[in-house]
Amino acid sequence: MGIEIFYLVLLLLLLGIVIPLAAAGKDRRAARTASLVCTAAASCVLALLSLIVLITSQEIAWTAYQPFDFFSVAFVIDRLAAFFLLIIAVVSFCVAIYSGEYFEHLDGGSRRNLLCAGTSLFILAMVLVVASANTYSFLLFWELMAAGSFFLVMYEYTAAETRKAGIFYFVMTQLSTLFVFLGVIVLSAGTGSSAMTLVQSPASPLIIAAFLCLFLGFSIKAGIIPFHKWLPYAHPASPSPISALMSGVMLKIAVYGLIRFLLDVFTPDIWWGLLILAAGTASAVLGIIYALKEHDIKAMLAYSSIENVGIIFIGIGLWVILNAVSLPALAMIALLGALFHSLNHALFKSLLFLTSGSVVHATHTRDIEHMGGLSHVMPWTSALFFVGALAIAALPPLNGFASEILIYTAFFSSVYAVDSLLKVVMFISLALFALTSALSAACFVKAFGSIFLALPRSRESAEAKEVPFLMLLGPAILAGACIFLGLFALQVFQLAGFSVPEPDMLIVGLLLLVMAGLTLLVLHFTASREVRISETWGCGTLSQQSSAEYSGHGLSEPIDIIFSAIYRTRMKNERSFFDERNTIFKEGTAEIRLLKLFEEYLYLPAARAAMRAATAISRVQNGCLDTYLLYVFLAVIAIIVYLGGFA
Amino acid sequence: MNSMFVLYLVLNTLVVLAAAPLFVSLIKKVKARTQGRSGPSVFQTYYTLAKLLKKEVIYSPNSSRIMRVTPLVNMAALLAAALFVPLVFVPEPVGGIGNIILFLYLLALAKFFMALAGLDAGSSFGGMGSSREMSISAIIEPTTIIVFAALVFVFKSLNIFDMFSTSAAAGTLTTPVLILLGISLFIILIVETSRIPVDNPETHLELTMIHEGMILEQSGRNLALMELASAIKLTLLMALLINLIVPFGLMTTFTLAGLAIAAILFVVKGSILAGIIGLFESSTAKMRFFRLPSLFAMAFFFSTLVIIIEVFA
Repeated sequence: MGIEIFYLVLLLLLLGIVIPLAAAGKDRRAARTASLVCTAAASCVLALLSLIVLITSQEIAWTAYQPFDFFSVAFVIDRLAAFFLLIIAVVSFCVAIYSGEYFEHLDGGSRRNLLCAGTSLFILAMVLVVASANTYSFLLFWELMAAGSFFLVMYEYTAAETRKAGIFYFVMTQLSTLFVFLGVIVLSAGTGSSAMTLVQSPASPLIIAAFLCLFLGFSIKAGIIPFHKWLPYAHPASPSPISALMSGVMLKIAVYGLIRFLLDVFTPDIWWGLLILAAGTASAVLGIIYALKEHDIKAMLAYSSIENVGIIFIGIGLWVILNAVSLPALAMIALLGALFHSLNHALFKSLLFLTSGSVVHATHTRDIEHMGGLSHVMPWTSALFFVGALAIAALPPLNGFASEILIYTAFFSSVYAVDSLLKVVMFISLALFALTSALSAACFVKAFGSIFLALPRSRESAEAKEVPFLMLLGPAILAGACIFLGLFALQVFQLAGFSVPEPDMLIVGLLLLVMAGLTLLVLHFTASREVRISETWGCGTLSQQSSAEYSGHGLSEPIDIIFSAIYRTRMKNERSFFDERNTIFKEGTAEIRLLKLFEEYLYLPAARAAMRAATAISRVQNGCLDTYLLYVFLAVIAIIVYLGGFA
Repeated sequence: MNSMFVLYLVLNTLVVLAAAPLFVSLIKKVKARTQGRSGPSVFQTYYTLAKLLKKEVIYSPNSSRIMRVTPLVNMAALLAAALFVPLVFVPEPVGGIGNIILFLYLLALAKFFMALAGLDAGSSFGGMGSSREMSISAIIEPTTIIVFAALVFVFKSLNIFDMFSTSAAAGTLTTPVLILLGISLFIILIVETSRIPVDNPETHLELTMIHEGMILEQSGRNLALMELASAIKLTLLMALLINLIVPFGLMTTFTLAGLAIAAILFVVKGSILAGIIGLFESSTAKMRFFRLPSLFAMAFFFSTLVIIIEVFA
């Protein structure tokens, strides 16, 4: 039964690919709509399937195709896979609804058919990766996912910026595949099997190498610092629904890979957990610090994704550590926190990407300094973005808080149970986690404030129009899910059969409502109801101007200065004068340069080293026939000597 | 939810609403006295709030719904947070009420709305306030969390109710470590309630104000709500400090006589703490904004060292 439903999902997604391709070069809206309807329907069925598996806890496993003894494409949907399939399903559904209107507003004519087909292909690949039961099919679909997303990023290929982003993304994603590939090969060399089953010999160096390769591969895909640079390039370049899918879902596929291998294949050591915790903490805190500096809305969201994946990695790291020091109950809380945050981040980040897509569509700019005042002209979009901002800033009673409190609880309850060195590490991590959480609130005050509040700072922003219904409906479902999962977090966990030390958020929500109600009641009887609308006082200026209000950049300036050691912005100021006493100014240059730390000190040196190695090797290939004959001759001699030596 | 808990909900809300303006006035009074002025009456904050309620509300034409809902959300969040910190009577906790992390994040909810409202009218004063407030609250957060983690360790519970009932049962200081944690809590109190040397609650000069800048565009009943909410915040953080360090008199089983004693003792202890805050404020100068991170870093390292050496060694 479950298998048939799964094939129905695949069939619908394949239809979603084939229909717009069949329309070929013709610019038909009907074909695109049909494709997106198929995708949405597939998402619904997929959500149903994963809910069935999650609730009944009956896993579905089958082999789809086995051409050779050692190679098969096999699937298994257990509760973990079903959970991630649910994430894919919910986000894809909302993205499909949103895209029905959004894709029609893009330039590109019939290329939009390809975009629809590509979206379906991308979703299909992600579904297949999660459902894969052995490393072969995992790798196969992993690569399909990477390639599919590359074409989607390259949609607006005519822009030089997009081409650069696309190539950057392609290199990074191939690097990720390379390491996952290497990890899987080393793993099968160590175990002699392609199945994702428990390895019995934990300590062998081969297994450790396999873990390190896989960790690296998944980290690159998940955007863990220092392998994060592709996110702030790829997200602004790609269409917003694609950003939502990539940030909301694809990063979670990497998280899924890591959890799957740690859970089913490896028996992790404590230092693996420390490694994951350190990577997660660094990504979380640096990610949000970089996000605060951004004024490109989509790059800001990209950096905030890096932060949130960092939080998820903190949860995973804690899980591994606490398991290694035999505190399984607390470890479970950390893992549940990480998983719940994966779902929550998928929801609110897609919500934010979709609504910011609407904003970019309405204002024709991604620069938040040119927005402002949009809450008056786009009330619905601003309300939806606001829900996303509250959720991502981890404020109660929304879902972001519901998952972060689990990670906090795991930290708080375990810190005293471990030995002293570990304690110090966990303390530092906890402090940085708290810093991250508070900075993300600052970041989204900046984002919401600059985009939606005060006066418009450009003509486009003043003349913006609210987006059509479908572009509100998609995000609205996500916002509803954010509120629902926040309020009913405890109940959802109970339904899934987990008892977690989560405070009942429904009570908190009710308390807030009751208190607001009581306040209104008291005000009704005691306070004056007079209201007057009057110009903001501007120290005597005749009319208020948008140029005088606080800009997004100004808002984050104190944080820029406090963390200037991390940003390492270089300011150069050179002046020359006519006279010796330096009074009459002649000429001068001033320069503010943002240091791209990771690019300058990690990516470029690595690229140059690779280039040098390639140049060195290419000397062997000089294109001259004589040289190649010489190689053959030498090879033959070598073989004769080798064989002769053993004869 | 039993009847005792309902009683607690009503009682705690009433006590916090009644006591909060008093403590604010007391701090002002002490500060005025140290400056050689007689200062306003200790009931001045009540009069001010009553007067503000009678005044009209003025909105800027630029402002959106954020400006209109912020006072309400702020008040609701603080009143909800007030239920997390028992002032005079500690019942059994129900359904996660009293969770220390949730308490912290309810305060953050209020702050988030307040910062947005600061930006809403498009005035640069408001923006300045919001910007500074969010920066400061971000860099004090690690210290707060570390201190809370230490409290959780000392009392073996995440719930403020459990912490208070443990300390109330002892009647005196549970462990000497709490004195050191108390110092950290005092620093957090100063920072979170916008007091000297971090912020100056009494000026409306753009160079010095943070919290006042954010609420500059509020007026009438909305301003009354904002003022009352920040008074409640002060009271809650004071109560956290008082009921952990000097818990005697705190009631765990309800009796009318016990209530009277607990309430009187709480007001007395709170008044003394308010006096200490007033003296502390009078004895230091407002720090330059960008010197604050080093102060916070000091507070952070102090707390962390104390905790690692005293608590976990």
